[in-house]
Amino acid sequence: MKQTMTKEQKSEQYLRDAVAELPNEMTPERDLWSGIEKAINQQAQTESKNQSAKVFTPSAWAASVVAAVLLTWVTLAPQDKNTEQPFNLVAQMQQDFEQQKRTMLVSFGTPDVKQLSDAMQAELTKLSSAQKIISKALVDDPNNSDLLNLLRWTQKQELDLLKQLYSPQWQTI
Amino acid sequence: MDKLKIIDAHERFSPDVESQWIAQAQQGNQQAFYHLYENYHRRIYALCWRMMADKDSAEDVCQEVFVQLWQKINNFRGESKFSTWLHSVATNIVLGHIRKNKTWIQRIFSIEEQIVEDVAIEMPELSNLDQKIQTLPERARQVFVLFAIEGYRHEEIAKMLGMAVGSSKSQYHRAKSLLRESLSE
Repeated sequence: MKQTMTKEQKSEQYLRDAVAELPNEMTPERDLWSGIEKAINQQAQTESKNQSAKVFTPSAWAASVVAAVLLTWVTLAPQDKNTEQPFNLVAQMQQDFEQQKRTMLVSFGTPDVKQLSDAMQAELTKLSSAQKIISKALVDDPNNSDLLNLLRWTQKQELDLLKQLYSPQWQTI
Repeated sequence: MDKLKIIDAHERFSPDVESQWIAQAQQGNQQAFYHLYENYHRRIYALCWRMMADKDSAEDVCQEVFVQLWQKINNFRGESKFSTWLHSVATNIVLGHIRKNKTWIQRIFSIEEQIVEDVAIEMPELSNLDQKIQTLPERARQVFVLFAIEGYRHEEIAKMLGMAVGSSKSQYHRAKSLLRESLSE
């Protein structure tokens, strides 16, 4: 009995020693890094695309809504023009907006907007056209608070879009 | 010589250098991440290989560990050693992979008796014990690797493998007696 115990203890000790001597490391046969590198680069590209989609989808949606509202407005609004009425408020708003936009672009290093992708340029063009149409409509109805709000909103959309495009926070993704 | 053997991979570099790599990798620096990979991938591969008992799967999962590490590296807050944290991330990924890849037959019927037989032929450079470990039934092997080699407690293993603490202990004893038996042959 005593001899059996000793044998067991010996084999237990042998196993313990063998475990302690096991190598901590093993070398894979194939190069694993190239696959890892490829995967993480692909991931980065996908994330970037998704991020762009997340950022720009609302802008595209917003621009479409603006276009639809304006189309309805231009088609259905009364046509009795009164060009004599002043529209200083609108002019002031546009001036403030242009100033804000200039300051923002300067803070981002005066980037060339023409270097943007066609899709982004189209977004900016839509917003700019919307502002022009609203401003025209305001010539006829300068005190229309809905139109004024719409103008303010499209201006904000454009500033937000520029911010998203050029802000360093987005550039690093 | 023996002392050199037991120096862990993560101790080959000063903690300061490693901290820099981690910080840079957290900022998206792939070169720094490569240094971390270069430092740790053999250890992680050893874990994958011992848990999966299959060279190709182990290589695939080792890659998956580092791809996920790239995504999760910002979760490392320095509350534990990086090597400890990395090992726990890797262990979870390996176990997740094993769970995902079980066929419905393996899920329904016992996986206890699945034994790997051709290890020695496939990898003759393995130590004698490593070859014997690979021939253990799957559950016994996993518990043995996690407890005896990776240093997890039975409570942790039970949680990770979704079994009772008592089962983890009995699988460990089963593994030990099978190994003792085959080593004495």
